[in-house]
Amino acid sequence: MTTRGKTNAASSETTPRFPKISFWRTVVALIFAAGLYSMYARFALGFNVATNLTDPQPWGLWVGLGTLCGVGLSAGGFAIAAAVYLLGLDRYRPILRTSVLISFLGYCTVCVGMLYELGLPWRIWHPIVMWNRHSVLFEVSWCVMLYTTVLALEFSPALLEKIPWVRFREMYLRWHHSILIALVMAGTLLSSMHQSFLGGLYLITKGRLDPLWYTPYLTTMFYLSAIPAGLAVTIMAIYLCVRSLNARVDMNILSDVSRVIAPLLAMYGVFRAVDLVNRDATRYLWMWREETLLFWLEIALLVVVPLVLLNQEKVRNNPLYLYWTSATIVAGFITNRLNVSITALQSSSAVYYVPKWTEFAATFATITAAVVAFRYAVIYLDILPKNPPPQRWMLTSPPAHA
Amino acid sequence: MATTRAILVDITKCIGCRSCEQACKQIHGFPADTELKLSPTALTIVEEHGNRFVRRMCMHCQDPACASACLVGALQKTAAGPVTYDAAKCIGCRYCLVACPFSVPRYEWNKLVPYVKKCDMCAARQAKGQPPACVEACPVQASIAGDRDEILDEALRRVLSDSKYVKHIYGSEEAGGTSVFFISDVPFEKLGFAAAPKQAMPVLTANALGDGPTVILVGGALLSGLYWITQRRALVALAEAREQSAKERS
Repeated sequence: MTTRGKTNAASSETTPRFPKISFWRTVVALIFAAGLYSMYARFALGFNVATNLTDPQPWGLWVGLGTLCGVGLSAGGFAIAAAVYLLGLDRYRPILRTSVLISFLGYCTVCVGMLYELGLPWRIWHPIVMWNRHSVLFEVSWCVMLYTTVLALEFSPALLEKIPWVRFREMYLRWHHSILIALVMAGTLLSSMHQSFLGGLYLITKGRLDPLWYTPYLTTMFYLSAIPAGLAVTIMAIYLCVRSLNARVDMNILSDVSRVIAPLLAMYGVFRAVDLVNRDATRYLWMWREETLLFWLEIALLVVVPLVLLNQEKVRNNPLYLYWTSATIVAGFITNRLNVSITALQSSSAVYYVPKWTEFAATFATITAAVVAFRYAVIYLDILPKNPPPQRWMLTSPPAHA
Repeated sequence: MATTRAILVDITKCIGCRSCEQACKQIHGFPADTELKLSPTALTIVEEHGNRFVRRMCMHCQDPACASACLVGALQKTAAGPVTYDAAKCIGCRYCLVACPFSVPRYEWNKLVPYVKKCDMCAARQAKGQPPACVEACPVQASIAGDRDEILDEALRRVLSDSKYVKHIYGSEEAGGTSVFFISDVPFEKLGFAAAPKQAMPVLTANALGDGPTVILVGGALLSGLYWITQRRALVALAEAREQSAKERS
């Protein structure tokens, strides 16, 4: 296994000294350039230049997309880890490292995004020593700190197994093996708690958050939607690895994941419907206003369209269809989180917030950095099993002048 | 021991002279120009609604949403009444701005080292026995300060004794009760007052947070149980396979 990994890495190194200018490399370079300017704008020029945030809309895209979606879409790691180690579903083991890596990188983007988001980022450590246990945000920050540590530890063998010092490596891996189950259990609990607490952040906005979204069960809603969305991200990432990074994955695993996603989404949909009826909020469903339109967009992308698609054998067994179905789920999930954090507060704050381009650029650059890191991790580490590299020169017959 | 302090604003008495605004700006060293909205340099302002003048400022809730939201405890409800802000603790997350049912806290968006700004009811002055600067400056006693119970009694006395008043003391129920009260002869919703929930806001999140220990205990037990079952099944499967192969060999 290790020798194959080495030859793989070597073969991808045979590319010329200067990286080829391809379409996606250009896109990445442009995003990084824009991100660099946004970094300058945020830290050297301040919020007023870098964002469109105002007192009535103090949390914008960086919270809505960077934090809420960043954490939510990283839920795949704990779900797959719990499935493999705690439920003994060994068939998901081949995609375990991928999903843990995605989660780890996802949480890294959240932590980096936090530095942009906080007005005084050099005080990011304050919650460690200054406690307010009545604050939902306090619980969220501790869970995120602890869970990022758990993810780093869960993922660490993929890096440390490449260390050439055998004795240290063996010692570390043995230690890691002995704490693994505890890590997975802690990870599952921490994830469950802060995925729901992210919704809990908005419980205090009673009377101001739009009735289509405000519910005492915001915590449950956030938790129930995060798991299928996190799994959808895992499917997308694995599809891309197979398509362009020469990875070899059994298609049946992805089909199985999609068979888990469908009932989770259905459950979420039913829960939302029951909640709306219970709260007597159904009259808001048919009003002609932006909130309602965006609500239906969210429900269509997150629940209705994926359920219709996943109900078909053809979709569940085709990687490309699964990829696009997952993309729909992720888009619906992002719509939901942005609706809660931006749309739902619009009418009460009387401010129409549209993020500045630098806000988009900062978040996209952070996410792109994670994607690039993911790519190189899959290329150089043993994340997914790989196909033998294609041979460039074929020697099928002996040379003419032997 | 000082009692809990409070402020009563009688909208029927306010003449819109903005002395309170100016006094506030002066004591904080802010530029003196009049501002239309609360801002980092205008912690109280006088709004015009028709022919009424309405002061806006921090309501100093009894159980403040901002203090419960602040993850580092920079915002505190003091025993003396004011809700104070400790800039040295603040990390700039702005959850207090999200949480406040009255949308009062302001943020210094134009600064590179931004802090939250809001009225602290002149906590330092009150500790020395002086009234808040805005109250002291009011030439017609439209704003008065005093012990919270006495202030509330006074508000009630005025509302009941004169039929022109709306039969409600704004702040007595809003957000579970505040330390700044308004009485008026024009319905409050016409004067731009927020229809804040009539309950202490931290209760809303306390319920969700209370689930934390339960999640850890029940969830931990559940996960351990699941893991035990998984392990057990693997062991049984292994033993069965061994028996099978032993049988085949014999």
